[in-house]
Amino acid sequence: MSELALQSVVKMFGATTVLHGITTQFRPGTVTAIVGDNGAGKSTLCKTIAGVYHPDRGDITLGELKLTHLGPHETRLAGIEMIYQDLALAKQHDVVSNLFLGREKTRFFGWLDQPKMVEESRAVLETMGINVPILKLPVGVLSGGQQQAVAIARALLFAPKVLIMDEPTAALAAREIEHTLELIKKLRERGLIVILISHRLNDVFAVSDRIIAMRSGQIVADKLIEETSMQDVVAQIMIA
Amino acid sequence: MFAKKLLADVNFTSLLQCLVFLLLMSIVFALNSPVFVTPVNIVNILTAGSVIGLMAVGATFVIASGSIDLSTAATMGLSSVVSAWMVQNMQISGPVPLLVATAVGAACGLLTGLLINITKAPSFIITLGMMSIYRAVAFILTNGIPIYGLDEKITSIAEAQFVGLSFPSLLMLAGMVVGYLILSKTKFGAHTLLLGDSQFACEAMGVQVLKLRLAIFTLAGCFSGLAGYIFMTRTSSGDPTAGMNYELIAITAVVLGGANLFGGRATIPGTLAGILCLVVLQNGLNLMAISTFYQTLFVGLVLVLASFLRRLGPER
Ligand SMILES: Nc1ncnc2c1ncn2[C@@H]1O[C@H](COP(=O)(O)OP(=O)(O)O)[C@@H](O)[C@H]1O
Ligand SMILES: [Mg+2]
Repeated sequence: MSELALQSVVKMFGATTVLHGITTQFRPGTVTAIVGDNGAGKSTLCKTIAGVYHPDRGDITLGELKLTHLGPHETRLAGIEMIYQDLALAKQHDVVSNLFLGREKTRFFGWLDQPKMVEESRAVLETMGINVPILKLPVGVLSGGQQQAVAIARALLFAPKVLIMDEPTAALAAREIEHTLELIKKLRERGLIVILISHRLNDVFAVSDRIIAMRSGQIVADKLIEETSMQDVVAQIMIA
Repeated sequence: MFAKKLLADVNFTSLLQCLVFLLLMSIVFALNSPVFVTPVNIVNILTAGSVIGLMAVGATFVIASGSIDLSTAATMGLSSVVSAWMVQNMQISGPVPLLVATAVGAACGLLTGLLINITKAPSFIITLGMMSIYRAVAFILTNGIPIYGLDEKITSIAEAQFVGLSFPSLLMLAGMVVGYLILSKTKFGAHTLLLGDSQFACEAMGVQVLKLRLAIFTLAGCFSGLAGYIFMTRTSSGDPTAGMNYELIAITAVVLGGANLFGGRATIPGTLAGILCLVVLQNGLNLMAISTFYQTLFVGLVLVLASFLRRLGPER
């Protein structure tokens, strides 16, 4: 399995620099948490890895493959999946359309293979323990937890190598959070690179192997979980 | 259980509302005019709806994708002018003018889509501009004088009948079928609706949004171009002022059919039902000899009433 590496990644929006030369690596089979205050650049960093944004300088590689200039279509083909903070769901569309968004199964000339997509959706939702009758409902009428589950299912549908989760537990109830954390542990065992953005330090300490703290677009601390404590992390985030 | 499920489907209930309205209207007209329910009049209704119907198929795609196209009627007019010019000056009839009109429409749509992609401006603004530009081009090409009195072969195309239906109405129905298959059954159609639902979701999931929008506007342009050809055969002319305001009628039909004006939801059967509502209304009022002032009033009332009824429907 290959390592995900960032080398001096700079990202600017107009004249403002949001990422100031980020250099770090992520190893397969580990969960890395990224913490930091609002506006620290966590989401921007992850969207840059996922190809939604392109770095102004620096390089991103997955093993031998250079990701720097690839768009979301290619990074997904390379095995990078991201669960976005706002979930990136098409709310008027049903679960099946969302699960296969951008990767629809077709038979010929772009003719949709609807039965196959329904069948595979049913299978993946069953393995995740999600209620199957919701398959035909617009995603927008589902509960926050169910929507979250759809976004996670979509990310796992194509056996990714890297899974980036931006605040995956923010909208969830206690039981659903438990569920998500268990899932993250399973994915680590399967050898995925998991990157978890979260401001819930309890979750972070429950599943992570390593914590990166960001402030103003820079990495200000990078520690293994056993080397640090919650007080430590809070202090790192808070220092102005 | 099955019926309950259907009634929870917004697309279905919108279509149902349209069809019920169509039926009620037809009953009123049938009671007031002996001519209304005759084969000739039904053919008339479909023929009268052919130009707008084709434009509305294109508009369905554009609205589904979260855009709006105000340049469809101007595109239609320009296509009618170019194909009429060919017929008159090059003595060409047959399928070539049809293909040329469609190609002119496609080119207009492609250009419009390209400009929206480049400027990232709202489609409303860009297509408002393109509406003026395409009209102006049609005026410049003709010097403002409509091309009249085309070869009789052309009028015979508009009057040709197959299986009891006129050629224009058959072309419109064929356009509806093709549009339905593309929108509901293909990946391109699915992406069109998804783009209108959430552009970010599409981008993040790797859909090539710019290419997609270009294809949508080009396709819509093809339908407007084809409508221009029909207009040319029906009026035996190429008129730069052809179909003033038709773009708004096409949009009205799409919305009557249950589409979300902000994108993400639209169906071709809904659009067909919407077109029929508008054309039947006009036809029936004509037969009852009600003045066009009142016809305009009724179209407005129908749209307002439909919007109100939609609020009583299921959650969207
Ligand atoms: N698309 C954008 N255009 C301009 N500025 C942006 C954009 N996205 C984020 N920013 C800015 O970049 C900074 C980092 O944002 P973000 O990555 O969302 O932070 P976090 O996820 O850590 O809360 C913020 O100051 C935000 O205002
Ligand atoms: Mg964020």
